[in-house]
Amino acid sequence: MLSVKDLKQHLWSLAAVLLVGACSQSTSEQTPPANPAITGYMVAVNRPDNMHLIDLATNSIVRTCKLPAYAAPGTVLISPDRTVAYVLANRFREVYGLNIDTCALVFSTRQNHDNLRVISYGTIALSPDGRELYVHQNPTLIMNDHYEVQDTQIAVFDTAAGLEAAPVRSLPAPRQIMIMNTDAKGTLYLMGPDVHAMDVQSGALTTVIQGRSQDDPRYGSRDALTIWPIGAVANELIRLYTVAKYKDESRNLETADWLWGYDKIDLTTGAAESREFAPLEAVYFSGMHRPGHPDQIYMTFNQLKRFDVNAMTETGSADLDHSYYQVNFSPDGNRVYVSGALHDILAFDAETLEQVGKITLPGGDMALSTTAVFKR
Amino acid sequence: MKHLKSLNRKAKKLDHAVQEDNLEEVMAMQATAGCTSVTDPGWEVDAFGGLSNLCQPMEADLYGCTDPCWWPAQVPDTMISHPDWNADAPSAADDWRKLGDVFPKKGR
Repeated sequence: MLSVKDLKQHLWSLAAVLLVGACSQSTSEQTPPANPAITGYMVAVNRPDNMHLIDLATNSIVRTCKLPAYAAPGTVLISPDRTVAYVLANRFREVYGLNIDTCALVFSTRQNHDNLRVISYGTIALSPDGRELYVHQNPTLIMNDHYEVQDTQIAVFDTAAGLEAAPVRSLPAPRQIMIMNTDAKGTLYLMGPDVHAMDVQSGALTTVIQGRSQDDPRYGSRDALTIWPIGAVANELIRLYTVAKYKDESRNLETADWLWGYDKIDLTTGAAESREFAPLEAVYFSGMHRPGHPDQIYMTFNQLKRFDVNAMTETGSADLDHSYYQVNFSPDGNRVYVSGALHDILAFDAETLEQVGKITLPGGDMALSTTAVFKR
Repeated sequence: MKHLKSLNRKAKKLDHAVQEDNLEEVMAMQATAGCTSVTDPGWEVDAFGGLSNLCQPMEADLYGCTDPCWWPAQVPDTMISHPDWNADAPSAADDWRKLGDVFPKKGR
């Protein structure tokens, strides 16, 4: 979706487990089976109000829970203890926590009340211990004859607060924040025009990647599509951007190299990285590194592509029968999934890019929904 | 923005805001009330002047655009103004015949 038009608009400025055989007792004589078993689960949300738990070993739906609201946008987080799925839903307005095994509603926010309208995009994150939920809020007061736009902020919720929880504290935050995640130390990263790190106690903010504000004369303005908070299975928060890299000081767009790049936060160390990794030859909506393979990025839109990050070359491609917004992986990195847009999820062998499965969700479109993969 | 030329009154106001160093306020509107200032031209042509980089089919992208109010001039926004527009059409590809036009509500 969006990036096509954004590119248009800004053309000028324009990501073993268990090699089950390779257990600790294995010897050098043993070799992994040709089709290693995949272990893990995926939570996916689709219209009108479905939340599905998918077993990645069989590409089958284990359970379907009902959200108490419209599914969209359907951004999903899994609690660190793997028991609760938090879904930003209800037309970008509220977060709901459902027990993955029982479907019981155990948590919800109350962001919208009285004449206060609060919209949050894909902007939810959990503290490493799962005790706090962070939501970026765009609040507006709806008056009789006008709107009063309020300051944006990070609202912090206690995940043990139950239903219709109110924030326990709020921290001033930049506007246009679209995706977030926390690193192992609990620092909150906010991706919007630039990338910021926030101390969730003091609210102190630092800019860790200059995106829109980067002022390197060798480059044109970046264009980034920031919708899907993906990468957690590869221990990263990542989004793609496009940029023109000039040949010389003349800044001639006609001779510039048009490139794909990524902004990435390492969720273990908090290290920030921003670099180009592929020629801009087609549109992709999301991309991330393959778990365990920092040299490989997979991207999806009308095709699933694999790029060698260091060589900046395409190393694999699969045609898709329709557009898919989001790429994701099994925890071991042996399967790659494309999802979003309509109501089916495709599974591919990450090495050969042969399709090995298709999960058709009962119900309607996933649209912008973001899947979450986890392992128990 | 430096490569774009404002053509209509709204675009000129945006341009004016940039000159007055009020760009942040204009940008904020896109996030807070995106339905009013997004100016995407539509589904006609992709970033390379072709068609292969458009969403395939357009129904795959329809709700991905109505949900976040991406193209408010072309499709109803289900984020703010018409939240129930596609309530009876969960699948854009299967249920598109149930999607109708929308009109301003009385009193708005």
